[in-house]
Amino acid sequence: MTSAVSVRGLWKRFGQQVAVAGIDLELPAGKFIGLVGPNGAGKTTTLSMVTGLLRPDQGSVSVVGHDVWADPVAVKARIGVLPEGLRLFERLSGRELLGYSGRLRGLPGAEVDKRATQLLDVLDLAGAQHKLVVDYSTGMRKKIGLAAALLHNPEVLFLDEPFEGVDPVSAQTIRGVLERYTASGATVVFSSHVMELVESLCDWVAVMAAGRIRAQGTLAEVRGESPTLQQAFLELVGAGARDHGADLDWLGGGTR
Amino acid sequence: MSDTTAPASITPVVVRLKLSLLRNGLRQSGGRRAAYVASAVVALLFAALQLLGLITLRGDAHAVSVVVLLVAVLGLGWAVMPLFFPSGDETLDPTRLVMLPLRPQPLVRALLAASLVGIGPVFTLVLLVGSVIAVAHGAAAYVTAVVSVALALLICVALARAVATANIRLLTSRRGRDLAVLSGLVIAVGVQLVNFGAQRLGTSGLSQLDPAAQVLRWVPPASAVGAVDSVSKGSYGLAATQLVLSVCALGGLLLLWSRSLTKLMTAPDGSTLQSAEPAAKDKASTGGLARLLPSGRTGTVMERSLRYVWRDPKTKAAWVTSLAIGLIVPVFNALQGTGSVYFACFAAGMLGIQMYNQFGQDTSAFWMVAMTISTTRDAYVELRARALALLVITLPYAALVTVLTTALLGDWSRLPEVLGLSFALLGAMLATGAWTSARFPYSIPQGTHKNVAPGQAGLAWISIFGGMISAALLCSPVIALTIWSNVSADGDQWSWVLLPAGAGYGAALTYAGLRLAAPGTARRLPEILAAVSKG
Repeated sequence: MTSAVSVRGLWKRFGQQVAVAGIDLELPAGKFIGLVGPNGAGKTTTLSMVTGLLRPDQGSVSVVGHDVWADPVAVKARIGVLPEGLRLFERLSGRELLGYSGRLRGLPGAEVDKRATQLLDVLDLAGAQHKLVVDYSTGMRKKIGLAAALLHNPEVLFLDEPFEGVDPVSAQTIRGVLERYTASGATVVFSSHVMELVESLCDWVAVMAAGRIRAQGTLAEVRGESPTLQQAFLELVGAGARDHGADLDWLGGGTR
Repeated sequence: MSDTTAPASITPVVVRLKLSLLRNGLRQSGGRRAAYVASAVVALLFAALQLLGLITLRGDAHAVSVVVLLVAVLGLGWAVMPLFFPSGDETLDPTRLVMLPLRPQPLVRALLAASLVGIGPVFTLVLLVGSVIAVAHGAAAYVTAVVSVALALLICVALARAVATANIRLLTSRRGRDLAVLSGLVIAVGVQLVNFGAQRLGTSGLSQLDPAAQVLRWVPPASAVGAVDSVSKGSYGLAATQLVLSVCALGGLLLLWSRSLTKLMTAPDGSTLQSAEPAAKDKASTGGLARLLPSGRTGTVMERSLRYVWRDPKTKAAWVTSLAIGLIVPVFNALQGTGSVYFACFAAGMLGIQMYNQFGQDTSAFWMVAMTISTTRDAYVELRARALALLVITLPYAALVTVLTTALLGDWSRLPEVLGLSFALLGAMLATGAWTSARFPYSIPQGTHKNVAPGQAGLAWISIFGGMISAALLCSPVIALTIWSNVSADGDQWSWVLLPAGAGYGAALTYAGLRLAAPGTARRLPEILAAVSKG
């Protein structure tokens, strides 16, 4: 099996705090891959380093066989990114943003416009295409960000919390597009802390907690004996066995 | 009252509401209370000084011009105030009263009365009283003065209310907040203009005001004060016309206000509806722009940069400030006769500042740029395109300001060398701007009046001041050449050479600066992104 993403000994510290503590990852190509973990596990930091937006302190990352830091030309042309917590050029309309993004990547103008029209249609943004992105809702922003990430037909797509704050209708639209995209052999890597979503979407999962990878493999491998991914996840991050029976015993029951 | 079911007047209720809102606003924090009290004291002191000034003006031949102009400016102030400070008065937003069963007439009366409460109306009242004291002579004039002051004050307040209500959708929207970012700028430029006006008056006397006052005494609310002067001079017909004009204006404003109130309170709130119309117009107008620009990365980046000059409030404010100051300093100095043609370089210098912190202007959206830069060549083309977008505006503007300044001073023989110097300075600013953009990027926080994120002020100072000093040093060969041509005996014959020399030198500096900045940009993309994403 060929690797879409290969990470070796990746470290990142912010001052005293270790955000990512020497992780190794092998993400297979052509799969729908979920990077799961609680808040503060280092998912965003990892994805930023993998996509070349954040310089690691140590370690190497290669995407479809090319080193991210040594060979940015090959890597940047082959990946699409939807980061979390970074802005878009919000004073452009949705259509202008796609036109800008596609042309910056060196695609011919006519091709960019054709693809933008189709993406706007599929993502249900055609009605708002001339509205400035600053006036978009959260779901619309995620969708236009996804469109910009897909425009140059990347081999690997990195999405940081693509379903966070998105309404069910938009989520279903995003899901449909991503499923169609992976069916053609492309790879999607996305982070989330919603286990039900990851379980229903992904065929490959990496579990992260406190800057380390706790488990990685196919959904069945990571789930193991547990009935759900949620259960397996809680056990992996060490939150499953906690018993709160003794605490808060005064709570409920009506007596003071 | 014949109709027994008529409810008690709501006027006292709304006035009490306004007072409570004022009081509760002060209760929120000590700092806010201190700021409010301080501004109230300053405003009232200022008003008192104005009052004294106006009283001493009494009997002066040009007193009427001064007060007419003053009242006109007051009226203008009331008209634009709600556009810039929309959140200042909650009772200005009648949509808050929409659930109450109120008819427009009593509501208008009540809101008008509430508007008379506050520092602003008191300040205006003091100035209006001073104005009529300055021009009223005789019993008839005193009587007219009382009517005039009341009329003028009501016109001012009604004007503010009518403007605010007509634009309430705008004021509570994102566009309104964008507009508020520009308010500081309007005040800054306004202060420059007032300063200049005051200097002119100081040198050439109050008679300068007469032509303007001749027109403005027919325009409400200044017409109300104009009527007092007319009565003093015995022109009762004139006074009656001016008063009638003022009354009509007040009536018209109240009618307009009441109409938009009714519309606002009966029509559904459209703020959550999607509206694609305004942006669709933008598209049609910028389609032509795109066709004029080169293809590829250069044109794409230029198009976005130029769109941001117009659409991004922070970028727009910075540009308008640079354009205004770059014009005001040389041209106004020339108008006053104290200027020099060399002041025209100010335009190039001010506009060149826009090249600084290019990536900070992108905010964290810079990641979209970073994802598409893989080589030094990409970085060079990106920076060059940004410099070109700047030149589209700055080059003609700097040339225009230079020609205008030269024309005002009549010093045509110096035009080539000043143009050359301007272009050299512009080139040096672009070069140092590109380099510091790559080397010392810093974040520009959005949605506030701040221009630097906490902890990055030092970086911003290094970037801008270090850059400006370096730019001046880089220009020293051209400056030296200019001095030589002016000092040496046969230098005048050669001063035309400074135009091509300056322009060529500026272009060479820009090229060198971009070339030097590109490798650093391509190498330090993650560091730049981290720096511009703060705050």
